Amino acid sequence: MGTAIRGGRRRGRVAAALGLMGELLITLGLVLAVFVGYSLWWTDVVAARAAGLQGDRLRQTWSAPAAAPSPGVEAPVPEYQAGDGVGFLHVPAFEKDDRTTLIRMGTNTDVLNEGVAGVYEEPYRSAMPWDAEGNFTMAAHRDGHGAKFHDLDRLSEGDPVVVETRDSWYVYRVAGTLQQTSKYNVGVVAPVPEGSPFTGPGRYLTLTTCTPVYTSRYRMAVWATLVRVDPVDDHRTPPPELR
Amino acid sequence: MYGWIWRHLPGPSPVRALIALLLVLGVVYVLFQYVFPWAEPLLPFGNVTVDQGAGG
Repeated sequence: MGTAIRGGRRRGRVAAALGLMGELLITLGLVLAVFVGYSLWWTDVVAARAAGLQGDRLRQTWSAPAAAPSPGVEAPVPEYQAGDGVGFLHVPAFEKDDRTTLIRMGTNTDVLNEGVAGVYEEPYRSAMPWDAEGNFTMAAHRDGHGAKFHDLDRLSEGDPVVVETRDSWYVYRVAGTLQQTSKYNVGVVAPVPEGSPFTGPGRYLTLTTCTPVYTSRYRMAVWATLVRVDPVDDHRTPPPELR
Repeated sequence: MYGWIWRHLPGPSPVRALIALLLVLGVVYVLFQYVFPWAEPLLPFGNVTVDQGAGG
């Protein structure tokens, strides 16, 4: 009789411990499921809000009247600091929501997480579209935080990529793609990118993101070359590539 | 654990259910606001730049 009670009590304690462990495991599973929702949905919501506000602000500064040009003095080329808005990247091959992306200086996490295309400042400082030559290099998230480059693998040779700044539309065409490379392959953002079809200096554009989707194992790069610069008119009529 | 929490919530069942729901929402809020933003950079899902090994 006594041993039966003692045995029952021990069994009860073991069952309670197992039950607690089971509940903790279920909880862990739920937390991970919620984390997936956070990564793939909530960060997009937050990023879209941030990018929308900053994009509106950039357009407002553009519409503010420019200082009257003094005769004989060239307008100074703007110097951009990390975080500054540069313009907008238009990629017609992307899904509708991702076709227009705000471009900001810098590729640190704080900038990229706000749903923008970040301009490389290192390892190679990016050239700007208006520079006489060089490579305008940008990175953006593949998933979460706006996922602006989710469809980067859709781009193929000949697709247009347009950079909109205050005064110009810079129309590029894709010249080459690299579907997968090491994350240490910094040559893909060099002034004359390694592995690209380009052999000499020119006015290039490079987009990078991570691949395959939902991981950061490798990097993907898309290279484009400048074909045309259209001035912005009073109605900001987009170039034919975007119509 | 959940049984223990349920037994220690005050009031009749509907009130307990309401408090439990609020507790769940509070936990989700803390996760979204503090825990996930802290944990995310530590996980290898969001690096999109090429670099010499520093975080991207």
